[in-house]
Amino acid sequence: MDMDCKQIEEKLIDYIDKNLDPKEYDAITAHLSSCPDCQESLNELEQIFKGIENEKEEIPDQSLKTSFEEMLLTEKALLQEPKVVSLHQPSKSNWKAVIQIAATIALIVSAYFFGKQQNQESFYEEMAVLQKEKKQLKQEVTISLIENESASKRLQAVNYAEEFEKPSNDILKALINKMFYDDHINVRLAAAEALAKFSDSEMVRKSFIDALDIEKDPGMQIELIQILVSIQEKRAVPSMEKLLQNEETPSYVKDQVTIGLPNLI
Amino acid sequence: MKNLTDEELMILVSEDNLDMMRILFERYHIRIFNFLLKMTNDRDASQDIAQEVFYKAIKYRKSYKKGKFSSWIYTIARNIFSDHYQSKKNKDQRLDEIEYKTEQEGSNGIEKDEIKEQLNQALKKLNKSDRELVIMSRYQGIKYQEIAEITGSTTGAVKTKVHRAIHKLKDHYLQNI
Repeated sequence: MDMDCKQIEEKLIDYIDKNLDPKEYDAITAHLSSCPDCQESLNELEQIFKGIENEKEEIPDQSLKTSFEEMLLTEKALLQEPKVVSLHQPSKSNWKAVIQIAATIALIVSAYFFGKQQNQESFYEEMAVLQKEKKQLKQEVTISLIENESASKRLQAVNYAEEFEKPSNDILKALINKMFYDDHINVRLAAAEALAKFSDSEMVRKSFIDALDIEKDPGMQIELIQILVSIQEKRAVPSMEKLLQNEETPSYVKDQVTIGLPNLI
Repeated sequence: MKNLTDEELMILVSEDNLDMMRILFERYHIRIFNFLLKMTNDRDASQDIAQEVFYKAIKYRKSYKKGKFSSWIYTIARNIFSDHYQSKKNKDQRLDEIEYKTEQEGSNGIEKDEIKEQLNQALKKLNKSDRELVIMSRYQGIKYQEIAEITGSTTGAVKTKVHRAIHKLKDHYLQNI
């Protein structure tokens, strides 16, 4: 086999996979028509690939799924074991936690109502409603905390909002608002990070796209790019390309785009 | 939840929403099982290892960091596979027994099965790393770039190695027929 054939043989897999530019592809086609050796090599490779393609996937025994389900049950049970009971993670099946949360809420509420009304009866009525609607209240408390004057309180509230399994639209809107407009960059970053967990909401996804389009802070830009890539949001591609073309974009932001972009297109 | 991406689901799992792993299991267990089956040629061992892959994925859920989920789960599968076969001193003897079993089973098959059997024999003659590359690239259709992520290499190096491994496979295959 002369040098030419050896080079051809090395390209035969790419030739079969159509991984070559048209010029190279045509050159190899031409060579093959006049070289029986290379043609034979090609046939052999094609035969092997066809054999592989024809192989059917094997199906594992049902026992694999059964033991997976058992394992999942065990792991979930381990998760339910009471460790530190916190206000952030009420466990439905854990009465101790419910009582502790109710007690905590009672304390907050009693302080609130203390100056306003000291009527015991209405207080207990309020308590009953609150126990039912403690989730809603927690969301409201979070929203009001988010508007607090102290930046550290706001940061705390943002982290708190992250703990909700299914936050209301009000919470999401409050978080989006913080991500866009808070005076402190740390609050904005934390809000973006918290929102990333709720990326199955279209409102949240849209907000990330809009934010990247107008964002000026490089730290926020990087955070947004990472989030948009991780949630596979293809609609953000134009904004990212815009960043690449903009001369004012810092090089490390451009690097982040360069790394992320291939995952979206 | 079913229309979430693998990555979104795994992020939920890493936040202790373990039920989401069920969807990932449905999406991946057959692929992972077939990868292991081609590597080991042993159904029982492949079932055991596949089971362990999903167990480890749950145990180490907090270590998942936003990367491509399929690369992550294949990395876990490779690690467990290596542990499994390094810990068995008599692994060669074990594999020989299995070879014998499959040959018996395949001997009265139709022609298509013969090609499959020849290919299996040729695969077995490759070293572990070459075999793995052929399986990932051709049997499982994983792109060079992702194989590079899984094996901690570069796309260019992976492509060169895969091509070489295929040519070796071809040589072994032709010797058999």
